[in-house]
Amino acid sequence: MSTIELKDVSKEFRINRERSVLALSAMDLTIREGEFVALLGPSGCGKSTILHLVAGLDEPSTGTVTVDGLPPRQLQAKQQLGIAFQEHALLPWRTVEGNLELPFQIAGRTSDREHIAGLIELVGLKGFESARPSQLSGGMRQRVSIARALCLNPKLLLLDEPFGALDAVTRRFMNLELQRIWQEKQITTILVTHTVEEAIFLADRVLVMSGRPGRIIRELQVPFPRPRAVETMRQELFHQLVDDLTLSLEP
Amino acid sequence: MRYAERNNGGVQRALYQACGFLLLLAAWQIAGKAGMGGKTLPALSDVLRVYTIGWRRALLLRAAVTTVSSAGIGLLLGAALGCVTALTAQLLPVLEPGLDRLAVVVNALPAIALGPVLIITVGREATPALLAAIPVFFLIYVAATSGLQSADQRLGQFFKASGASWWTRFLYLDAISALPALLNGMKLAVTTAMIGAVVGEWFGAPTGLGIVILNTMQNFQIPLMWAAVLVVAGISLTGYGVIGLLQSAVERRMA
Repeated sequence: MSTIELKDVSKEFRINRERSVLALSAMDLTIREGEFVALLGPSGCGKSTILHLVAGLDEPSTGTVTVDGLPPRQLQAKQQLGIAFQEHALLPWRTVEGNLELPFQIAGRTSDREHIAGLIELVGLKGFESARPSQLSGGMRQRVSIARALCLNPKLLLLDEPFGALDAVTRRFMNLELQRIWQEKQITTILVTHTVEEAIFLADRVLVMSGRPGRIIRELQVPFPRPRAVETMRQELFHQLVDDLTLSLEP
Repeated sequence: MRYAERNNGGVQRALYQACGFLLLLAAWQIAGKAGMGGKTLPALSDVLRVYTIGWRRALLLRAAVTTVSSAGIGLLLGAALGCVTALTAQLLPVLEPGLDRLAVVVNALPAIALGPVLIITVGREATPALLAAIPVFFLIYVAATSGLQSADQRLGQFFKASGASWWTRFLYLDAISALPALLNGMKLAVTTAMIGAVVGEWFGAPTGLGIVILNTMQNFQIPLMWAAVLVVAGISLTGYGVIGLLQSAVERRMA
């Protein structure tokens, strides 16, 4: 049973009356239920476009995008979509707890205090419940953002370069954290990233993309068993795969 | 450390502002005492003495209550209309260009031309409030329109992906994001409402600070006239300051 399907999808962005850019062309992609897929590529290769199409934030120019056979808008309406962006996009006037109540309020449900407390603990922010985003570090804000994406137990988790704005050390640490969090939830996940190590460490399958028009040039089934830990990143095979994919990213 | 610096900067700026203000008052006092402005420019101390005379204070207070009520009603009315119009333009984008033009036209009508029309249509009592409401409407319409569009784009995408309805998005995102711009508009609207109310009274309202200014001018009661003008200025500046404080508190909260 497949969860996400893109069939012959293309996406054209109009710049002005004469010019337009083909961001995606004839894209076919199937993502199984419970699979963690990383879309890896240089900026401007259309990887974020795929994510936006799956999230229903954009419509394809041709082709169809379905999640469980339904258009993404229906998943939106049922609040089964968890999404986190590179910029944390938290409400600056609310506390951590208040931001985690937001998905419940949007869905018109009473917020589940216990569940929220559990999520805060899961992302390692216990003790920061009443801090506001401006009082947190970049890494902590991204944790809140990921916790918020998980609030309503979504069927699908979309991560758009969630650690793109972080420094290398924090990013590596956040990768370990995300791997731990995902291990507990095992939700179908699409991660958009331009960092090779991040893609290989976190995903079950890495799709390497090239730009203009965006298409998949390589597919890698990641051989490492879960749960993965720091040791995974130190293996010879890990480094080989990183070098290998880095090479295929070069134009 | 950063807080300390910012506070120091604020204190320093406030000090400069106070110094400038005091210099201005001192210049007024000296010019008045020296008779540099003729009989129509009394010294500041002569103007302030007006406030110590019981019946004059009572007169000014009664007049101020009337004018502030008119300005207040105009402020609320104009602000409410401005917000509703801005929301309508948001909800029905087809109407937006039309509403924009309507707001500009309403704002372009000179109070001087409109006053007599209002006197014969809504009467002398209601004219000050309406003349206050018109410029407020325009200011708040512009402020609310830009405020409602100021929500962070990423947050907008998050709301959309989460399946938010127009109403939930408005309630939890757009309305709150609009607050700083709206308060900025309100800050300016307070002073505009006071001007509108005073000018509105000149067309023949029974009482009010505008009437006091007009009558004292005609009867050559110069210190009392200046005293009334100072009251108008004081109320305007106080309103401006209070809303300004509210605005910076909100902005701090939203940073």
